[in-house]
Amino acid sequence: MLLGPVLAVLAVITLLPTVYLFVISLTPLNLTKPGTAGDFSHIWQNYRYMLADMRLRDSLWTQVKLSASTVAFQVVLGFLAALLLNHSARVGRIVRTSLLIPMVLPPIVVAIIWKMVFSPDISPLWWLFNWFGWNVPVPITDARFALGSIVLADTWEWFPFTMMIILAALSMMPEELVEAARLDGATPVQLTWYITLPYLRGALLVAGLFRLIDSIKAFPLIYLLTSGGPGTVTEVPNYYIFVQSFNFSYVGYSSAITVVLVAMVCVLSWFIVRVVSGGDRAE
Amino acid sequence: MTHHNDGVTTMPPTAAAAQAHRRTLLKAGLFGAASMAAGLRAPAVRAQAKRFAGVTINGAAFQHSFHAALKSWLPELEDKTGLKVNFELQSFPIYNQRMDLELSTHGSAYDFCNIGTPYAGRWITSGWMTQLDEFAHNANLTAADWEPGDFARGPLAILSDANGHIFGFPWVAGAIVMGIARSDLLEKAKLPIPATLDELVQTCLRTNAPGKTYAFVNDQLHHWEWPPYLMNEGGTIFRQPPTDLMPMLNTPQAIKAAEIYTQLLSSKCAPPGVLSYTDDQSQRMQLAGRANIRTASIDWLVPLAKLKDSKVRSTVRYAPLPKGPGGSFPGVNANGFGIPVGAKNKEAAWTFIQWALSKASFERMALQKAYVTVPRRSIIATPQFKEAMTINGQDVGQLYIDTVDAPGVSDYMKYRNMAVFPQVGEKINIAISQIISGQANAKTALDQAESAAIADIRKAGVKL
Repeated sequence: MLLGPVLAVLAVITLLPTVYLFVISLTPLNLTKPGTAGDFSHIWQNYRYMLADMRLRDSLWTQVKLSASTVAFQVVLGFLAALLLNHSARVGRIVRTSLLIPMVLPPIVVAIIWKMVFSPDISPLWWLFNWFGWNVPVPITDARFALGSIVLADTWEWFPFTMMIILAALSMMPEELVEAARLDGATPVQLTWYITLPYLRGALLVAGLFRLIDSIKAFPLIYLLTSGGPGTVTEVPNYYIFVQSFNFSYVGYSSAITVVLVAMVCVLSWFIVRVVSGGDRAE
Repeated sequence: MTHHNDGVTTMPPTAAAAQAHRRTLLKAGLFGAASMAAGLRAPAVRAQAKRFAGVTINGAAFQHSFHAALKSWLPELEDKTGLKVNFELQSFPIYNQRMDLELSTHGSAYDFCNIGTPYAGRWITSGWMTQLDEFAHNANLTAADWEPGDFARGPLAILSDANGHIFGFPWVAGAIVMGIARSDLLEKAKLPIPATLDELVQTCLRTNAPGKTYAFVNDQLHHWEWPPYLMNEGGTIFRQPPTDLMPMLNTPQAIKAAEIYTQLLSSKCAPPGVLSYTDDQSQRMQLAGRANIRTASIDWLVPLAKLKDSKVRSTVRYAPLPKGPGGSFPGVNANGFGIPVGAKNKEAAWTFIQWALSKASFERMALQKAYVTVPRRSIIATPQFKEAMTINGQDVGQLYIDTVDAPGVSDYMKYRNMAVFPQVGEKINIAISQIISGQANAKTALDQAESAAIADIRKAGVKL
């Protein structure tokens, strides 16, 4: 009985826009040409464009690199930080709170902070480099390091999130497991590898999944730090969709890319959820 | 109760006196009520004498000192005409994107708005703006001394369609000139102010002093700053706009122009990280004397001589954009006010535009707000303006008017009015940053830009 209204609301706020997005993707809708809104004469045209769009393909590859590195760094750093903080309750509380600051800042503020760090004319870091006489390249304008600078800023912002999830899981970990292993003479490294990590598997996967999905939505850092450049080396599909839609008014085409991106995220999420729930069954 | 001269109130001595006093009070009350009623009605009666009494219009623009000053003067317009104006100011990119969406729906949320580069061409050719000629030339709607012909040619061309119909009147005109913050360094090196693009490159290569004063600086808007280099080298953005929109980004002239421009922005001449520089950052480098030459819109360069915290006030010099084999085609841009096609109250909006862009308004801006990029010829010609724009002995006002009012400017700036220019401009930005960051040489980057631009233009339904 109660499920009906919930499903109706869900249909209105989620399903309907998605269906509308798909319908738009079948048209050549261009805001500068109102007549294109109802033009269904070549419904697969946008999808055909996508197959030939090398820039889109490059942006997908950039996304793979960005997602893989940010998720890896954030999970590893979050795990290490959680392990350290779990041992010291009093110090841990203070450090934990301060580590949360980047995560609660608005993304635009995070981007501005890193923009200042990476702008040699105003960056204290570059004043220091100059003082030492080091000629350090500027990462956001150097094709070799531009993506790395986004990864660094994103990791700084979001590793506290994975840390919090892992800390919560660690606090639930039965003390007997650790004590038994200690009695058997396990070293700290063996404890971590054979006891803690297997126990945290589910938490790590959940944290990774959340960060993976969020990494696909990357926008403010890229918009403010590199604008997708230099060239297009930091351009991810999300940013490319923005350019197509808001700079060029190709709403039909950007909708088609969005439909494909949504489908990819759904498949990815389904796959990872299966892995996670499979792991739970094994436990 | 009686009132004494001293203001003290006492009780009446008898009942009759009291009765009489009640009548007096009643009369006084009636008189007071009538007076109050009259008083309440008075403003309305006065307001009805004003043409736009009770009318409120909405407008939007991006944040700029010109708009901020106008906003503070709005009560004067209301006092004069009765017109109330809600004037929203947003940051530049936010404004453009929001207004782009608003106009594309033919919405009626705004009665007037800012129209300017880089969106003017798209908004005009898409039919989203109201043609203003009929307002400007209607004696019933426009004061005789407003003189639409007083606006400089360059900015007016940017806000007009290919047939010369006007869709916006400018409040600012940007003209690309060369600003040399540290002319003393050129004198020390016994180098003249560069007159050609090749001389500019040689001068920058010879005077670059990394860590002290970089020879050249510019912001990241290459789609605006590079085309004059391209045209000076004899190239063009489109083959023959508006009839033939084939992009011409990989011609030998374009490759030469890109090589020159990117050499200036390379580590041989420019500060590290220059690819990410905004206008503000570039200006700050010049103000501090840490960067010398910049070819940019004059409104970013005049503050070098005017701002109190400028360290280059005595050394700054100005010159036309250096020429190339093809001639001299300094970029001109414009921002102005226009009326969306879906606006509800166009006459009231036109009243606002007339007031905001009147000679008196510009004169006030120039004198009170040190506003230099005035697009009205009559103001530029005034002795006060000339005096304000004579900098270190140079007549910078003349340099400005020579650029924004040059014959032919409306022809060579046509490329900016093409609806597909944003697509092409973005390819220019990508190509230039690829060259500077060493990802590709000029030919490869421009070949890619050309094919990507063709694909995007075709996506817009334009036949090439």
